[in-house]
This record gives sequence, C-alpha cells and structure tokens, in this order.
Amino acid sequence: MKRILFVIVALFFFLPGCAAQKEQTAGHMEGMAEEHGHEDVKITRHFDDSLTKLTDNKLYSLELVIPVKNVKMGVNTLEIIVHHATGGDVAQAELTVTPWMPSMGHGVMQKPVVTERGGGLYSIDNVVFSMTGHWQLQVKIAKDDKEDTAVFDFPEVKAMGHEHAMMHAPPPKDLDYSTTKMTANDAFKVMYKSIGGQIRINRIHSWELTVTDSGGQPVNDAVVTVVGDMPEHGHGLPTQPEITPIGAGGLYRVDGMKFTMPGWWVVTISVRANDVHDSVSFNLNIL
Amino acid sequence: MRNYLIRATGTLITSSIIFVIVFLNAPGAAWSMDQHDWSDQEKSILRSLWIGSLGPLPVDPSNKYSDNPGAAALGKKLFFEDKFSGNKKVSCATCHREDYFFTDNLPLSHGMDTTPRRSMPLIGVAYNSWFFWDGRTDSLWSQALGPIENKLEHGISRTMSAYIISKYYRTEYEGIFGPLPDFMEETFPHHARPALDDPDALKAWVLMTPDQREEVNKVYVNMGKAIAAFVRTILPQPSPFDRYVEQILAGETLSSRMALTDAEAAGLRLFIGRAKCTNCHNGPMFTNSDFHNLGLPPRENVAPDMGRASAITQVLSSQFNCLGKYSDAHPNDCPELRFIDTSNKKYEGAFKTPTLRNVTERPPYMHAGQFATVREVLKFYQSQAKNPELGHAGLTDEELDLLEAFLHTLSSPLTSLQAEVK
Repeated sequence: MKRILFVIVALFFFLPGCAAQKEQTAGHMEGMAEEHGHEDVKITRHFDDSLTKLTDNKLYSLELVIPVKNVKMGVNTLEIIVHHATGGDVAQAELTVTPWMPSMGHGVMQKPVVTERGGGLYSIDNVVFSMTGHWQLQVKIAKDDKEDTAVFDFPEVKAMGHEHAMMHAPPPKDLDYSTTKMTANDAFKVMYKSIGGQIRINRIHSWELTVTDSGGQPVNDAVVTVVGDMPEHGHGLPTQPEITPIGAGGLYRVDGMKFTMPGWWVVTISVRANDVHDSVSFNLNIL
Repeated sequence: MRNYLIRATGTLITSSIIFVIVFLNAPGAAWSMDQHDWSDQEKSILRSLWIGSLGPLPVDPSNKYSDNPGAAALGKKLFFEDKFSGNKKVSCATCHREDYFFTDNLPLSHGMDTTPRRSMPLIGVAYNSWFFWDGRTDSLWSQALGPIENKLEHGISRTMSAYIISKYYRTEYEGIFGPLPDFMEETFPHHARPALDDPDALKAWVLMTPDQREEVNKVYVNMGKAIAAFVRTILPQPSPFDRYVEQILAGETLSSRMALTDAEAAGLRLFIGRAKCTNCHNGPMFTNSDFHNLGLPPRENVAPDMGRASAITQVLSSQFNCLGKYSDAHPNDCPELRFIDTSNKKYEGAFKTPTLRNVTERPPYMHAGQFATVREVLKFYQSQAKNPELGHAGLTDEELDLLEAFLHTLSSPLTSLQAEVK
C-alpha cells in the first residue's frame, strides 16, 4: 500500500517538475557589456563589477556603475564616480554624457540627465540606447577650464526584456526574500520596510531604509539610490521614487514606490557614504 | 484509521488518474470536479479579483464636489447634453453609450469627426490613476474637459461651454458652485481657448482680459467636476465570476451548484495561472492602470500613435492637473503626478490596460479597435508568446476556448447608483 502511495505521489511531483526543469535549463543567460581598450592604470574601484576608465588626457579616473548589472536597449540609469587621476573626489564638474552608435554614426534624441550626488558621484538618468547593437557612452568632464573625455564601450547592447521573456526565466528556486542584507562588498547593512505594512500591488507607498556600516553604526549622510526591475519582463518601476534622509538612526525615506505587476521584482539600493560605494539587491514577490 | 487511510489513498489514486488524463489529453478532455479545488494562494488571487475587494469609491482630493449629489445630478445632464458640440448633436454619451456599457461599437470613435482611438469603457473608471488610453490627465474631471475642446470630438470651446451653462443650467450650477457671472453673447467670444491647433480661437482667448479668462476657466472646471461626479457612479455589479469567488471562499465545491461551469473555471485557472493574464489585468477592476506596448498592428491610414510617451509632458504641463490651481488637492495628495515616470522612451506605443469587466459585451477591442472579437484578441496574445509584456506562452486553441468562456462570466448589469441620480 505504501509503495502505491509513493508511486502516485512521485508521479504528482514528477510531471509538473519536468516542465519546470525545462524552463530552468533554457533560462540561464547572463551577458555583460565588455570593456574594450582597458588602460593599464591602477584605479581604485568602489564596486567589483563596475567599469573603469582613465580619461584620454589622464586627468581623471572614471568608474561607471550599472545598478542593474547590464545596460540594455531602452532607458538606463547609471552612475559615474569621478576621481582625480592622482586621487580624490572630483566635485562640481560638468559632465556631458552622450550615447553614440559608432556603426551608424548617430546618437539619440533623448539627452541623459546628469545630477551631482556629492562625493564625486554623479547619477546619469535617461541614458537611452534606442536599438540593439554596438553602443558607446561618450563622457566629457569639464571643470576649471579643463576638459577631458572618455568613452565606455558596449559591444552588444541587448533587448533584455525580450530575451528574458523568450526564456520565460522563472525566479531561481532558492531566492532570498530577506529584507535585511549586507551590500555586495559588505560595506553596509541595509534594511527595508514598507511603511503601512504589506506591500499591495498598484498602490503608491513609501519605504523606510535603515543603513548601518559594517560595524553596526548608523550611516546618516549617505547618497542613496533606488532602482526597481522586473527580471522576467525587463522593465522597471512605473514611478520615479524619491529618497529623503531622515538625518538620524541611519534612516532614509523612499516615497513613490509602486508595483503594477505581480511576481518577481528586484529592488537595487546603492549607498555611497564616506567614499565607499556599495549596493544590494532585494528580491520581492508581489502578489 | 486503516479504513480512512485506504479511502484517502483511493481518493488520491482517483484524482491522480484524473490528473494524468487531464495532463496527457490536455484540455478539452475531463476538467472534472477538481476544477473547483483551489490552493490557498489561488484563493487569495481570486479574492483580489473579486468585486468585494473593490472597496469604497476612492476619494478624489482634486475634486471636492466628487461626492456631491447635486453635482452628480447636474453632471448627468451635462453628460447627455448635445448642445456641448459644434453641430449640437454630440454629447459625452455619443461615444460613451449608456446602452453599450458606456463605450461605443466603433473601432475609432466618431464625434464631430473620426478620432484616432477607440472610446474607453467608463465602468469603474473612478478607480483609475490615469485617464484616457494614454493617461494624459490625472483626474476624471480634467479628463471630462479634454473632448469638449477637441475638434474631432465635441469641437467647441470653454467660452462656449460657460455660455451654455449660464444660459441653460444657471440655477443648478449656482446651487452648487455659487454665483455665476453673466456670459453675454456680445461680451464673450464664442470660440476662445488656449489651443495650438486653432489660431483664431487662441487669438480670441489671449484678447480676453485675465479676469475673463479666469471666470471662464472656473466654470469650465466646475463643469468637468460635475460630470466627474456623475461618471464616478458608473460601477459594475457582481458578475457570475464574483458569485463564484464567494462560493469558493465559503468552501463550496460541488460542481452542479457552482456559478461557473467546469469549462469557465478551467478558463479562470488559466487566466490567473499559466496564461498570466493577471500580470496586467489584476485587482477587482482587472486592470493595473499602467501602460504597456503590446506590439499591436498599427491601423491603416492612421498616423503612428506614441501613446503614453507623448502624454507624460501633457499631463505634467496641464493647467488642470492635480498640482494646478484648479485642483482642490493638497500637493501631498498628488502622488501619481509627483512620482510620475518620465522615461518617455519606455512608454512609446504604450496604452493603458483596460478593465475586463463586461468585456465580452462591448466589442471591438484595443486602443484603436484593432480586433473585432474577443477571440481575435486572444489569438493575438497566443501569437505573441515572445513579447516580454505578454508571455502567454504556448496556449492551445482549446485553451483559448476556455479563456473566452471565462471572460463571459465577467459580465453584469451596471450599478443602479446612476438611477438614483435624478
């Protein structure tokens, strides 16, 4: 009797399991924009997987941070950290960022929006790659009558959403949904909490973040950015959230969070404080 | 105990056999009594789609008259008023027909002329965050004002609207909104509006004094607020689907007593499961009120429609938005506008997810009436397995039958609230 039971139970698990397995195998894909022409210069990275560049006249070193790991066709939000080649943050520089498609000899209508965040960090919103293929990001830095340039190269910008959908990538089975995590390089501990309890789909709501350093001390003066992404669909949040430091207890308020699709979301929070830049991704399952 | 075990095992064997049959034969075969068994997670999804989860009408902080019965009564008259049009034949109800679930049966709506899009259904529209297919307004009252000055729709102006109100609706208007100045035919231009598509109307508008323009704007806005107070009351009533959810939540499973047939329930199971329809059609109005580009075929002889992408600057710059001077809202009560996603590129060709309540009763479909039947819509989705926004992968024709059967269960009469508004 027990054996029959076992076979039947096994049958139950096996059949749907097959389908799931098939999807999983097809589902593995990750492509990183490679960096060409990497100069042999020592640049202190704040981020393991960021791209670094020395400017053409060797005035500055640049670190390009892509919060969602890869640039993609469509709208991207990036961060650039500018240092003097000799060391030290570069504040109040004028950055001009231009997406360029070398093979076509054209750029895009949309102009990236540069906002200085302090401590040499500049966030670059609205970086549009209008089609798939080889793209460059031309960066011009102007400060005190001096100008220098650098070009970041993305040999193969893909339409992320489309590829993800073709694979129907389900969320990895062992997805970590914890709300408190260390950042990638263990520089900060970040906790998020939805104000007003459980996150409800289609409702604008606010989050409260608590940021502490590795020693557990609150970090009050960090520059924090929040990017949401839906890996299975390749699009971000339907809103542009705002982050306000509370000024004590390592607390930050994030207003304007909204999720309009059920399923797996990834919210990446980057923190820059005391010259350290690190980020952490939280998984959410929106019902 | 042993007996129980044997019986339980027996049930398990039976259900496994049925399961295997269903699995191997695919749909069309036996959906069986299991069709009405739902897991706890499925039940929570069903509850989220249930009309009982709709909650009270959301307060519109930008319209302090939105729950004013007098305003709703006036709004109802204005909604059906033909005088608000260039040929005195077009009212809101021309394209939002009461006998057709407050939309019309045309692929492209026709007011004074043919418009580039289909008329939106008004059922439960007050639960939206954005209005029009592209969300170019952020309130129902500012939405109501758009068509009045659109050449293809009502084709008149705000000055003409104020004149009609003062001539035909003065008493009712003043009872709600306070004293109305005289809009004499001799002193006010009939066709004056801040329009870029009509130089004569624009010139007439700028030649008016600031005070005159302000007076006209106030009447025009109040007119929109009255219409909105009426349109808010157009609500769905419980459908067979809603009654079914109540049965499921109450623990009912007997097939013969259920409000949905086995096939309809099988369609519902696809709808919330593998077909992933609830990615966008979620919540009790079956819409996330968000914007998506489905890769629909463009209409012939119609200019490319940028959808949401061109609406973002429109709503941000509108004098009638939630943060504007004619809004009754505190700036903190305008979160949708404050946190609006301005990434134009992301929203090229994107249109708002429409409600699915009463969907099978009101063809044609999509923002430009691209499809004549629900079946054509489902066929399109079936063909779009690779589109990231859709991903209704691998549906068979038999499964489309089930989905279509389920969609029919979302129909219900509209609420009687409007009848109370006399």
